[in-house]
Amino acid sequence: MSSFSNYHRLYLFSLKNGKKKLAYGENPQDALDILSYRLSDAEMAEIEREDFMMIKQRDLQDYIHLLG
Amino acid sequence: MAALKHKEKINTSQILWLDLGEFDSLNTKKDPQGKWQDHGLGLLRTILHQNEIFTDIASTRSVSSWEELSPRLEGYKILLMNVRSYTFPIASGASRLFKQLNPNGLVIVGGMHATVALDEMEAVETFDKICKGAGENIIIDLVSNPELFPRIIDGQGAKSLAEWPMIDRSLWPQPSNRRASRRMDWPMEPACGWGPGPAATIITSRVCPWQCSFCNESSFIPKMGRRPVDMVIDELNYLDDKYGIGSVVIHDSMFFQNPKWLEEWLEKYPKRANKLWPYWAAGRADTVRQWPELFEALVLETNWNTVSIGFESGSDRILKVLNKECTEEDNLFTIDLVNRLGDKMKSQGRKPVSFWTNIIVGVPGETREDAFKTMRMVKQIKRGKPSIAYYAPYPGSILGYQLIAESKSLMTKDNYHRDPGVEKVKGVDYPFYRELLAGKYDHEIQPGKPKLRSFLEAIGL
Repeated sequence: MSSFSNYHRLYLFSLKNGKKKLAYGENPQDALDILSYRLSDAEMAEIEREDFMMIKQRDLQDYIHLLG
Repeated sequence: MAALKHKEKINTSQILWLDLGEFDSLNTKKDPQGKWQDHGLGLLRTILHQNEIFTDIASTRSVSSWEELSPRLEGYKILLMNVRSYTFPIASGASRLFKQLNPNGLVIVGGMHATVALDEMEAVETFDKICKGAGENIIIDLVSNPELFPRIIDGQGAKSLAEWPMIDRSLWPQPSNRRASRRMDWPMEPACGWGPGPAATIITSRVCPWQCSFCNESSFIPKMGRRPVDMVIDELNYLDDKYGIGSVVIHDSMFFQNPKWLEEWLEKYPKRANKLWPYWAAGRADTVRQWPELFEALVLETNWNTVSIGFESGSDRILKVLNKECTEEDNLFTIDLVNRLGDKMKSQGRKPVSFWTNIIVGVPGETREDAFKTMRMVKQIKRGKPSIAYYAPYPGSILGYQLIAESKSLMTKDNYHRDPGVEKVKGVDYPFYRELLAGKYDHEIQPGKPKLRSFLEAIGL
């Protein structure tokens, strides 16, 4: 019953190259952990772990051009 | 005109709707799902005709080639197309052909791809007007006075599905010959293994509110009120009286949501419908686990005979990458419940409920053990067919956008195909998946159980 008890939020993390990366999670650390499942260590090292904002799925289209 | 096989082309209008899909797919015996009709086209064309703006219809699915399509596009002032990502290439080609044949003609496009990949639509010079979002409250003005609109238009949708008129199914495209029309039960749709034909596809709700990272449809489709239960049943009864219904496909992205509506459906459908037609509809493993009594009652009392659940994966790691917000435990609970319900129905001499399950493999980050866990989960299903596909990074979804931005997608704007067995993401070990689905690792999955070869055949590998 996870969506009823562990609601996920959408985070937009800054990257060192100025781009952004999207990730879901219960909190920012959880989102980073989930990102690490599919990204290499080098790719994870590009993420500014403390520089993030929470966005709404409805606003997704506003951020696509920033992704990297 | 020589290319037209069965009837002379007669333009009755200056406006042409072009239905999009694979060439000839309405005419052939195979691929019943390729014959499903476009509800967006049906709705918008119904609205236009009810307002005395009459249009002709052609379909790339009822011709076998561009040469055969060409004469059908000639002699019109306006071409209308509802474009999805997987029909974007054919829509682009059709617009170029239309412009060659009708140099002063206007091409108006809308649909999902205009919303999720506007930049790709804008790059097609032969798309004169591009409508983002829903079109039901703008289509009349747009077609009547297109010159008053800019190239990029924000669509206007209804607030509730209750505002939509009932689709006039005779406005849907038909195959090129009577035999194929009879075979697919036009203007109804053909049986596809989920129940007897003719099939009635209907929509009771639009937009799944969950946020799976491979879909995210609520990021680009506004939420709308659900269609009243009585209105849904009235439409089914009308279609049954007029054409006959063998089974129903409730094409909602997520049928098993909103318990209040479902309870009303549970109360009224068995009493008011002409017949308790078996139906296909979609749910989620966590909603089934949240409301098991309601789920069981719907299966047993309303003939919800084919339960579509997107299990996607049997591994919590991958369910998290997909942001499915369901767990391995939710999936196994639902499989066990449906297995037990099926056993109960069988013991009562009834046709047992079965699954139509969506499984995604080849998700970035998936390990071999994750994939083995998925296959172990699939093997728990007693009745039903898994629909297994490689993960596809479509624009519009968060994971899709992200992989495109990371230059990891192998899909291109010229190739947004839906072929489940074609490689779609860089870095995924596809040879392993081919071997997995061929049964090479069955000893690792579950010793002594049947092989997975049938899955491989099911996805055409």
